[in-house]
Amino acid sequence: MAIENANGLPPSTPMASDQQPLLEGRTVSKYFGGLAAVNNVDFAVYPGEIVGLIGPNGSGKTTLFDCLSRLQKIDGGKITFKGRDVTRARPYQVARMGLSRTFQSVRVYRKMTVLRNMLISHQWRNTSLLHMLRPSPASTARRAHQLLDFLQIEHLAHEDAGHLSGGQRRLLEIGMALMPDPEILLLDEATSGVNPTLIETIKDRIRTLNQQGKTFLLIEHNINFIADLCSRVYVLNYGEKLAEGTPQEILQNEAVIDAYFGA
Amino acid sequence: MTTAPPADKNGNETGKKARFPSLAPVHSLLAGWAGLALWLLLLLLLALYPYTGVSSLALLVGSQIFVLVTLASNWNLIGGMTGYVDFGHAVFFGVGAYIMAILVTGAPLLISPQWGFWQALPASGAAAALFALLIGLPTLRLKGPYFSIAMLGTLVAMREIVRVSRPITGGGIGLNLPPVLNRIGDYYLMLAIMGLVVSLIWWIQRSEFGQSLIAIREDEVGAEMRGINTTLHKIAAFMIAAFFTGIVGGFWAWQNTFIDPDGVFVETRTVEMVMMSMLGGLGTVWGPPLGAVAIYLLQNLLWSNLFELHLLALGVLLVLIVLFMPEGILGTLGDRSSTSLGRLLARFGRNR
Ligand SMILES: Nc1ncnc2c1ncn2[C@@H]1O[C@H](COP(=O)(O)OP(=O)(O)OP(=O)(O)O)[C@@H](O)[C@H]1O
Ligand SMILES: [Mg+2]
Repeated sequence: MAIENANGLPPSTPMASDQQPLLEGRTVSKYFGGLAAVNNVDFAVYPGEIVGLIGPNGSGKTTLFDCLSRLQKIDGGKITFKGRDVTRARPYQVARMGLSRTFQSVRVYRKMTVLRNMLISHQWRNTSLLHMLRPSPASTARRAHQLLDFLQIEHLAHEDAGHLSGGQRRLLEIGMALMPDPEILLLDEATSGVNPTLIETIKDRIRTLNQQGKTFLLIEHNINFIADLCSRVYVLNYGEKLAEGTPQEILQNEAVIDAYFGA
Repeated sequence: MTTAPPADKNGNETGKKARFPSLAPVHSLLAGWAGLALWLLLLLLLALYPYTGVSSLALLVGSQIFVLVTLASNWNLIGGMTGYVDFGHAVFFGVGAYIMAILVTGAPLLISPQWGFWQALPASGAAAALFALLIGLPTLRLKGPYFSIAMLGTLVAMREIVRVSRPITGGGIGLNLPPVLNRIGDYYLMLAIMGLVVSLIWWIQRSEFGQSLIAIREDEVGAEMRGINTTLHKIAAFMIAAFFTGIVGGFWAWQNTFIDPDGVFVETRTVEMVMMSMLGGLGTVWGPPLGAVAIYLLQNLLWSNLFELHLLALGVLLVLIVLFMPEGILGTLGDRSSTSLGRLLARFGRNR
């Protein structure tokens, strides 16, 4: 189904060299004390792509997400989003520019209903003071209901988010990330704790949204999920970029097999 | 090929741990127009009350209860809705009281002629709000208990600063305000302030601003990542709460005609605000007012029966609330499943 406001761009072919990256990190580094959680990582996502980010536990994937979404100050390097330097921006600013993300440990507003979780996650870019002093407008509610329907959790709209199951919460979080009609979605292990049928649903939704022009960056441990969806994959290991390429290339890469699947 | 999901190692079920698990805020009962209508009706009745030929003591008691309700509602905005449990909120009361006293007595040589009450009252609020801005910028970065302790420290520090700034504040001796006895005027003024504040909280709670505060309480990182300028919203809530607390402080100084550091910068006043909000229901619109009235009545009851033990009894009460009614009166009623009255009220009140 079509989502309001989604601009129906055709899926563009990734990696056209004349294209400007939508989200780019250059020599991004992040240290926790002596630990280099992310070390000199170069990174680019082009408009219309679905890019995967994989790596063993503790390899720095979530930390890289935190750096890109500005939740963590970086210790080195530069991050650009839509051609603008956002290295020093705050998270709400990149969010208003069109970047949405979900969290590995799901973050929803537990004491609010599912619907209210959705309503308050609207696009804040042009929210005036007057707008803020009123209840959410009907147009926001309409979009919220559409998205809940799209994610098949509409029947839970008036349930407290804290009462949802783990998988339902993940879907809600994806819905909240979609509310502001972002240009890029960063999903951190969107399939973890989700049953296989639901995973197929999520996969299907990501494809649909991608066809409508949304760009995705996915952290996944589910290799099939990555292989099915992504045009390109980055592999992190010990905070460093180990490899990048198509899923097929990555799955045959010796170093990756060693790091990821090897003993 | 199988697509079995990896084991959930992140503990979806545990989620984010609450800062103060026992201070769990709750849904608001009667949060819609029905609630506001009832509230306005109550205000009207309270406005007619003096015409029933009551004593001046009754008017004094009335204005004192209105003070408590206003303080509790204000505290609830930052402590209950935004989730920043402010253990030093009385500092804004003190700032308001001192600004009022300084302005109307012309105590410092630099201010003359003396201000009238009506000019000084908004100034008390404005000074408290400004103070909230200055103090909130650093302290609102702190999370959970750290914020609470920092605010407690602010309260204690301000008391000492006021004590040593003798030329301006009269030091430990305090300040005497012109004695003007106007019980009926006090009654109506506090009724108006209370009416305004509680209605404002009702309004905020329905608005996107209020919902964003609740989002910040529930998950601040999530709120920031979804486009809410959390710093701005927190500061705004803090300043609004401080503004009206300052106004009440100014009023209190005027009514009491005497203030000193130990009388206005008191921890027990904060404890009272916390207790009233919690007893009624943190984060709800009508809970803190209800809690304020309940605590006031209880305090008088305990005081007349237990004398100096009444503080101990209140302390025990606080422990009992946390243990058995962590969501307060309205929260306990509002829980659809727990009581039949709750179910009724819930059906009636959830028309938001
Ligand atoms: N806030 C923090 N303070 C200190 N160390 C941290 C912090 N966050 C992450 N780390 C460390 O940084 C490294 C990378 O962690 P990160 O969470 O990015 O890994 P990941 O690739 O997402 O792992 P997983 O697949 O388990 O989610 C780990 O060694 C972790 O211990
Ligand atoms: Mg991770």
